[in-house]
Formats: sequence, C-alpha cells, structure tokens
Amino acid sequence: MREVYVAGIGITSFSRLEYPLAEIAAYPAMLALRDAGLKAVDQVYVANMGSARINNQTALGSAVVDTLGLTPTGAERIENGPASGASAVKQGFLGVAAGMYEAVLVTGCERMREVNNLEATDFVATMTHPLAEYIYGVTLPAHAAMFTRLYMERYGVTARHLAMVAVKNHANAMLNPFAHLHQPITVEGILDSPEAFTNNPYVAEPLRFFDCCPVSDGGAAVILASREKMAELGKPLIRLAGIGQATDTLAVFERPDPTDLLAVRRSAASAFAMAGLTPGDVHVAELHDAFTILEIVESEEAGFFPKGEGHLALEKGATALGGPLPINPSGGLKGKGHPVGATGVGQVHEIVTQLRGDAGERQVAGAKVGFTCNFGGFGNNVISMVFVREE
Amino acid sequence: MERQIHAYACRRCGALHYPFRMVCRECGENGPHEFDPVPLPKEGTLLTFTFVHNLPAEYEVARLGLGVVELSNGLRMLGQLDIADPKLGMKVVGEVEVVRREAYARRYGMVFRAA
Amino acid sequence: MGVDLEQILRPIDSPLAPYPPKFMTVASGETLVIRQVDRDEIPTLLLHVEPLLHVERDFYDVVAARVYAELLAHYRYRMQDEYVLVGQIGGHLAAIVNGRTVSPRQGMSLHTLALRRGLRIGAHCFAAKMEYHIDILGQDEVLIVAESPIGFRRWMIEYQLEKRFETPHELGGVPSYCLTRALFDRARSSLVVGRRPVPPELLAQAQAGILPPTDPPRPPADLLAATRAMYDSTGTALLLQRGRQELEAGHA
Repeated sequence: MREVYVAGIGITSFSRLEYPLAEIAAYPAMLALRDAGLKAVDQVYVANMGSARINNQTALGSAVVDTLGLTPTGAERIENGPASGASAVKQGFLGVAAGMYEAVLVTGCERMREVNNLEATDFVATMTHPLAEYIYGVTLPAHAAMFTRLYMERYGVTARHLAMVAVKNHANAMLNPFAHLHQPITVEGILDSPEAFTNNPYVAEPLRFFDCCPVSDGGAAVILASREKMAELGKPLIRLAGIGQATDTLAVFERPDPTDLLAVRRSAASAFAMAGLTPGDVHVAELHDAFTILEIVESEEAGFFPKGEGHLALEKGATALGGPLPINPSGGLKGKGHPVGATGVGQVHEIVTQLRGDAGERQVAGAKVGFTCNFGGFGNNVISMVFVREE
Repeated sequence: MERQIHAYACRRCGALHYPFRMVCRECGENGPHEFDPVPLPKEGTLLTFTFVHNLPAEYEVARLGLGVVELSNGLRMLGQLDIADPKLGMKVVGEVEVVRREAYARRYGMVFRAA
Repeated sequence: MGVDLEQILRPIDSPLAPYPPKFMTVASGETLVIRQVDRDEIPTLLLHVEPLLHVERDFYDVVAARVYAELLAHYRYRMQDEYVLVGQIGGHLAAIVNGRTVSPRQGMSLHTLALRRGLRIGAHCFAAKMEYHIDILGQDEVLIVAESPIGFRRWMIEYQLEKRFETPHELGGVPSYCLTRALFDRARSSLVVGRRPVPPELLAQAQAGILPPTDPPRPPADLLAATRAMYDSTGTALLLQRGRQELEAGHA
C-alpha cells in the first residue's frame, strides 16, 4: 500500500448557507485545489447524507464534478450517515494507496437548514432502526440522553461536566472564523443563574439545549495525494497514517454494555495500530461531540483517558487549548457546527490546519500527531483517523 | 385480540433476536429467514429513560417518555413510557399500542407503564 | 367650525397598568432587561426593524413587516390598546414583543421579534408578554398564532396551548390558539423567569436609550441567492458575483 498525504484543504463557514448544495460542495473544493496548487484530480468523492431527502437532489457526485468544471473526471457520492465525511476520506485514501489515482478530491457538504427544525430532527432520526427505534419517536438526542443517564449513574458525570464541555467548545469556536456559533456561554448562564434552566431547557432529559450541536449547513474538502505527487506540489507533508472503522448493532439497546461505545474503541485501536502509534503520541484531537457527553466518552474510548475518567481530565483542563491534549480546538461539532456530511472532512481540515501550524489563535503548539473520530448513528458506524506531520 | 411484538428464534442454535435480522449473529449458520417468531414478554425492568422535548413534527405533545426495558427473557427493547416519574430499575409492563401516526398510517409499538 | 377628523380617527386607549421591568441572566452570562417602552421610543425601534424586512429566512421578512406596521400604527395613533415591550442587553436592542387588549378579560398577542438569536431571548420576552396579560392586566386568556415553525414549537407545543379555532386571530385571520390562566400557571415554573426590581443603574442604562442590536439577523451575503433557484437556473450571474466577493476575500 502506498503512503497517502493531504495536499490541500478548504472549508466554508459552518452556519447557514443559502446557495445550492452542489456549490456548498464545490466552493471548499475550489479552495482545496488552489491550496494544493492543482487544477485537476483523478477522482472526486462527495460526502453527503441528506441531499435526496432534504434538498430533493440525487446523484450529487455528478452535480459537484460538473459544477467544478472537472468533467470527465470520475465522481461519486458517499453516504454513511454522519460518518459520511470520514467514509469519503477513507475511499479517497484507498484510491491513492492502491495506486489507482495520484490525487483525489474529497468534498463533504450538507444543507440541512433548508428545512425547519422539526423536519431536520426527523431527518436525522431516520438513521435509527426503522422498526425497533424510529417508530417510537426516538431522536439522536434521545439516544444520547438515555446513554448519558447511565453514564452519570455509573461514573459520576454531572450536568456541570457537560456544561464545561459546552463552554470550552464555544470558547474555542470564538477563535475559529469558520465556526457556526460565535457565542460565548458561561456556566453561570446555562447552569447556575436563577434563569439558567429556562435559558438552557431540556432537549431530551438529562441533556439540555447547550449539550447539543447546532443544525448547520457547510462544506469542507481535502485533496489526498501520493508521495510522488506531493514532491511536485511542495506542500507540508501531512500523512494520513492510520484509518480504522468499526460498526455496532443498529438498535442501540442490543449492545451488551449500554455504557460502552465499542465501535469508537475498536476503530481508534485499528487506526493507531495501522499508524504504529499509541493514544499517548497524539497532540491534538477532533472528536465527534454532537452531544457534550460524547466528547467525554470518546476521549476515553479512543484511549486518551481510562474508562470513566474523561470527565476528571476535563475538570483538570487537560482537554482545553493549552492543556496537554487539546480536544476540539475548532470548537467541535458543538461550536463549529455539524453539517452532517461535511463534519468528517471538516475534522480533517482542522487537524491538517493544526499540523501545518496555520491555526492562528487556536494553534496547539508543536502539534505533530493528530486524531479524528467521526461517529455515525449512535455509535453504529465509527471511523477514526491518525495524521502525522513528516519533516 | 391482544397485539404482540415478536422476537425471532434461530432454528439452528435457538438464539433469540430482537429486532429481526436475516442471519443469526450467534451461529451464523442459518439460511435467510430461518427463524421462528416468538412473542416478546411484556414485563421487564427499566434500564434507562428520557423525556424527549424536541420531537418530530407528527407528535403534538410537549414531551415524550422513552425508555429501554430489559424484558423477563433477557432481551431488551425500546418503548414509549406512560410513567410520570420513572426510576431506573423499576418494574414495568407493556402493551402494544399506536406509537406514531404518519399521515394515515398508524404504527404500533410497545408502551410501558409501571407494573 | 369644521369637524376635527383626527379626533374621529384616533382610537381612545383604555388605561393599562404598566409592565414592571425585570431582568435575568442569559446563557452568555449577560444580563437581559425587559421593560415597556412608550411612544417616544418607537421611532428608534422602527430604525432597527426596517433592515429585517429584507431577511428572507425564518419568516423574518413577514414578521418584521407586520411589526413595523404595528409599531408605526401605535406611534401614529392608529391602533387601539397596543403595548410594546423590549429586551435589552447592555442597552442594545435584543427583542421586541407587542400585543393588545381585546377586552378587559382577553388579550391578543401580536409579535415576537428576536434581534439576537441563540440565547432564547425571544422566548424570555414572549413569556414576559404572557405575564403582562395574565398577571399584570389580570386577563383570563391570550389569543396567539405562530407565523414560523420556530414560533409554533415555542408557543403551541411548549405551552401546550388550547385550540380556539372558532376565533380568527387579528394576524392574518387564521385560527387562534389560546393561553389560559391555567396553562400559564403550569408553565410558570419552567418558562417564566426574571427578577425584580431591576437594579437602578441597570434600568437607567436601559432607559438611557435603545442602542442598535449587536448581531441582528442579516440577509444572505448574496442578495439574489434566495430567489435564484426560481429565476436563474443557469446560475451564471451569481457565480461571477460570488466569485468576486468570496474567492478574492479568501474565505466563505
């Protein structure tokens, strides 16, 4: 297998974008091509979850490659729920690693705010088990809430820990010009003041409004290239060193231990094994904090902290910017936003920005090894990746 | 007639599955659809629960109780809760009722109440 | 001597008890003050409502147009028994809510316009409006409609409003929903918050003048984008326009 590098990156604001979906994919792709210094690639992968349902558009690969003026290059759309982004990066990786392509474009996009919040909630819920979950009115926040209740019971995680994740990620997002929420929040405002629980109402008990990521539009793109191609381009050598993917039962209640996220543990372990690295080698991580609890639990399952101690590390500031392992310097899904098909690519965008040393005010000093975890379904389908800066 | 929700017993190894899958996850030896439907028991223990406040548009209620129940035969299932103040570990008993209306379609599922 | 036509056209307002101002902490940790404004402050509000006429999202255009008309009619004495409350953060305008009384027993909620989003300021101000009708004016019920899905979720679902479909609402003549005293009492503990009295320096800051909203909803960067799908199927004009604006700026 050949080694694969990230040659270029591009991103839109994650917010509300009122232009056609194909352009939300094409715009960051243009930026990524320009960043890499390329005018053409050998293949285009488009990550997206909801175009057919939300935007009434199918065959998005064809639309995006044409919008970019790149026909007759091959193009396809990859749909894998909220892990679509990382899935598409993985497919791009395979194309280059196998020697079939020298450079590929992976672009993720989502335009969820075309529909109202009720429809968006229902759209996201369609990834649950159709007969054993969806028909009951279960939503992703509901899954996360039932999980959180058990985690609180067993490991002593409290609403305060969850609020600390939200406050940290909102603060990080303030330093990210592409983030959806440029809105600092305080523990006083969402937890302690007499009005806090009205400011921060339940979405699904015990999770509250500020425990949940926003519904965002957005696009993010990366160019993956072989070592030979990199030699022509002269960009920093950020190698995609490890990819791991794991699945788990579609119905969440079937899992033997309901406080485990086995797919996160397994995907992270395979990614580290492939890279020949350990969690202790990581300098910066982008985790899939669609709900505040997930940042805490993923930080444990990925191997950064022992099971049940992620919230203690958070308390000590270990995961803050400036701490020993900054998590979600971009603001994470909580602050940066969660355009589902773009999220996995957006995580790669942030890690590459960090490893290049281009992250400005939110730069993690000396970051050489980065980790991403893109979490599909409620832990049904998880892809972890390890990136290494080579000199 | 009392409505039932079914689990599926593998004809080769006897493992019970809920929800349905085409190949047995335990033995992997059975052909597709080699399962016998077995009614799920209706009594069990509440493992975890939530009240959902942001619901899909079909629901005209302020909040909806949902919970995971471990049934008396050891299988687990998700159901709606008609319990004002649920407690982890409480005994519950279910009934199959309408749990969702989509246009003119009615979907049936388990609704649990305190035993 | 001619008839003074203005005297005929101008409605006679019923005396309404004033709304006692209150304050609260919002999610950002900032302090929101909700208070009633009088006619003199209306022109300042109009200034900040006008730009929202052009925000074609989440029904801001419809709501802003109607709020503008209601405020102007109030200012120029063409609407009877209307009141206006504002929410301010550090003096800056964060929300406008208004309504009127139909009879001593019944109120009519008109609009809730949030000029700063993401902090539930609209919800706090709507609750203040309901508090005004039920607690301060002592009315039995308030008729309400929603013009946006956000409003529908906030009012009809969170407050579990009763259907009062036989009564058309003054906004668009659509069937009304109704908040009764019993429903309000049930929502009181979770939805209606705020502390009184407002510390004098905080109130003085709010009353000193309504400052412009700090981060109001804005129209899309590309003015044609909203109508584009309908009228510009080729997209040529837009790509050129946006290409200039954004690619050269180097960010989206």
